[in-house]
Amino acid sequence: MSSSAPAPVSDSTDPAAVAVRLRGIGKRFPGVIANDDINIDVRRGTIHAVVGENGAGKSTLMKILYGVQRPDAGTIEINGEVVSLGSPADAIKAGVGMVFQHFMLADNLTVLENVVLGAEKQHGIGGAARREIARISEAYGLDIEPDRLVEDLGVGARQRVEILKVLFRGARVLILDEPTAVLVPQEVDELFDNLRELKSEGLSVIFISHKLDEVLAVADEITVIRRGTTVRTVDPAGTTARQLAELMVGSELPSPSTETSTVTDEVLLSVQHLGLPSPEGRPLLEDITFDIHRGEVLGIAGVEGNGQAELVEAIMGMRSGATGSIVLADKDLSGLSTRERRESGVGYVPADRQRHGLLLDSPLWENRVLGHQNRPPSARHGLIDKQAARSDTERIIAEYDVRTPGPDVLARALSGGNQQKLIVGREMSGDPILLIAAHPTRGVDVGAQAAIWTHIKNARRRGLAVLLISADLDELIGLSDRIEVILRGRFVATFDPHDLTPPRLGSAMTGAGEDA
Amino acid sequence: MNTVTPTRATRTDPRLVTLVLRLGAPALALVAAFAITSLVLVLAGDPVGEVWSTILSVPETRNLANIINNATVLYLSGVAVAIGFRMNLFNIGVDGQYRTAAFVAAVVAGEAWLPGFLNTLLALMAAMAVGAAWAGIAGVLRATRGVSEVISTIMLNFISISVVAYLLRKAAVAEPGSNSLNTKEVPEGSRIPNLSIGDGPSTEVYGFVVIAALVGLAYWFMLNRTRFGFDLRATGQSSTAAIASGISVKKMTISAMLISGAVAGLVGMPILFGSSFTYGSTFQPGLGFAGIAIALLGRNHPIGIALGALLFAFLDEQSNPLQILVGVSPDIVNITQGVIVLTVVVSYELVRRYGVRLEQHAVARALAAEPAGRRDTSEKEVSA
Repeated sequence: MSSSAPAPVSDSTDPAAVAVRLRGIGKRFPGVIANDDINIDVRRGTIHAVVGENGAGKSTLMKILYGVQRPDAGTIEINGEVVSLGSPADAIKAGVGMVFQHFMLADNLTVLENVVLGAEKQHGIGGAARREIARISEAYGLDIEPDRLVEDLGVGARQRVEILKVLFRGARVLILDEPTAVLVPQEVDELFDNLRELKSEGLSVIFISHKLDEVLAVADEITVIRRGTTVRTVDPAGTTARQLAELMVGSELPSPSTETSTVTDEVLLSVQHLGLPSPEGRPLLEDITFDIHRGEVLGIAGVEGNGQAELVEAIMGMRSGATGSIVLADKDLSGLSTRERRESGVGYVPADRQRHGLLLDSPLWENRVLGHQNRPPSARHGLIDKQAARSDTERIIAEYDVRTPGPDVLARALSGGNQQKLIVGREMSGDPILLIAAHPTRGVDVGAQAAIWTHIKNARRRGLAVLLISADLDELIGLSDRIEVILRGRFVATFDPHDLTPPRLGSAMTGAGEDA
Repeated sequence: MNTVTPTRATRTDPRLVTLVLRLGAPALALVAAFAITSLVLVLAGDPVGEVWSTILSVPETRNLANIINNATVLYLSGVAVAIGFRMNLFNIGVDGQYRTAAFVAAVVAGEAWLPGFLNTLLALMAAMAVGAAWAGIAGVLRATRGVSEVISTIMLNFISISVVAYLLRKAAVAEPGSNSLNTKEVPEGSRIPNLSIGDGPSTEVYGFVVIAALVGLAYWFMLNRTRFGFDLRATGQSSTAAIASGISVKKMTISAMLISGAVAGLVGMPILFGSSFTYGSTFQPGLGFAGIAIALLGRNHPIGIALGALLFAFLDEQSNPLQILVGVSPDIVNITQGVIVLTVVVSYELVRRYGVRLEQHAVARALAAEPAGRRDTSEKEVSA
């Protein structure tokens, strides 16, 4: 079993120790080189991370390894044998399994039913399959009960079911695509324990991510991909996150930290005793009270599912039944609809940009109109002003550096970072006085992340009140003027980010030493 | 700065390709539908060639008038369904809505409380109001209680059949020597005059064809130019994004059902004011269901729906003499129509996905074609 210590040199050259060997993999799409001369060796019993920005070619590479796409060039060796993977079925046969970022589970079926679905031949659908699931769960510490309904499981458990599905099909090489994107910090730790369990049993894990701290924590080797090709494979022991990021971007990195304080005395947003009762039991929000001043960024830290989403939706008027008062610049928002609140000067960057922020199958200019249907330049006298909306979209494209050929492209065709920049540009264009940004840089590449940080800093400098919700603690500490910790729907602690470290904030988020 | 002209040429390319495909897709679907119908005819031992030569012969003026008349009615039905579709609402209840509306309009017009065209106008308003109210029930149930509009509109269809039959018995005037039940006739002065398209008998088309065209125009304008139409399309595409942008999805659900129902209320009007002048137990049934197929075929586009309605009306009319001429049941075109809907749905979806892929590639290509130096020097900028 290998550990995080550098492996003996002979190991990497010994073909028997290599589970997956990719040589000279290339893949072109019309006009784009997605992969070019990719070389990776994944040793047996290790966790091998593949990092790179969005669009660097990680996904294409993994689709090739999982048989979804065929490479134009290069060879794939699995356990020393050259294989040709024409479909995921071939990949599974060769012992390669993939856990996708978006789970593919049927909520209304049990774990057992989900696992055997499509793999009925392996162990049947009855007792034998149940025993096999129990065995795998036991062997790798997955803690999965076969007869639970998937809809009753949390995100972390669902992911373990996905892993179990792959193991059930006999995979010896697991590809995990951005597995931590959906997890809260504790779940990430649990996942990493599971992964270490897997490698100790001799399995190999290919771990795709752009969260560098996590990669450094769990991987035995890290391969950096930039613009479709492998830049370098490094040993995490002698590498810092910053060095990795610079390899990924190919240049110096920005940091989230803000300059001098711009906080004023003037209260822009005042939330008093905000509550959100829940039909079943404990309220989702309870007695939330805070002010945000002109030019101030208030960060909300918390383990996901502790009321952040509800807090944002209550302020936006998307949740009925909220109690308490919300006053924005002396105007009481409490009784207003979402549209009226937006028009009172609220810009909103939602956490899930594809579901809440965009019309994916509409052109960019229509996405510019979304949320601004009542206001110039998008609309006049109840009519949509296409010309004005288009030209204003071009302004956003230029000012916010949205990478697109023009405003008539469908939103779906843009990368995540560019979609997000468009949303930020749109939300800043109604002259808001309050900007609510929920996980503004989640799932975007380093370049777009830096751009979005700059825009938030600019908003603060221009005198907006900013409410920032993020799971990225560095981002929270770097951008915020004040941080509130939310736990089980209540604010439990306030921090000054200047003398705050992520570990301290993290322990407050889990309630350690607060009200445990 | 990103919208530089050189990228423009590369961008229009996939759009053009998609447009060609979009026009080609229904043609291909038609060919497939004809092939499958032919197969059925062969298996049944019917004369394939004669059937098609009858159906695809050039219609006479008299038949053309029938086709246009039938298409007018189908068009209104298609638009009514399409309004729901754009909101992701499946209004299966157009059938019940037009039936109830036609009955009420016939009673109002028959009573002739107002003189001449004022009476017509009142009856049309009544038809739209009744259609809207009937559909609105499903809208309110959906918005407030989450009842699927598919289920509720189907149920409302059955209810409308019974309610109208019951009320017809009360409102009908007995005609000596006939056991059919009919409402009072619309007075001469309130009828909508027909337009002649040729010489000889029965070469007249409903004057209502003009109103139907105006409805199509209003539909297009509402959908593409107004804020309301934008909200409707946005909600149909993503109700989550609509909520976050401040659209009240409940209000939109009810409004969309009301408008869809109001248009559905007009479906029976060309017949009432152009040919039958009365609502009776033999009033043309099944128009609402044809509308679903036509809206799908026409991709909810006002012109597409018109073409779909003409096609369906053409097939219906041309198949009439089949029994007499070649001894084949005209019902064979129902198979053709059904298969058209299936093939068209499949081919549209394929074209849509292909179009999205093309566009993504075009975007990637356009961005890759940008000066390489721009990307390398700027630390902020990252490939898409």
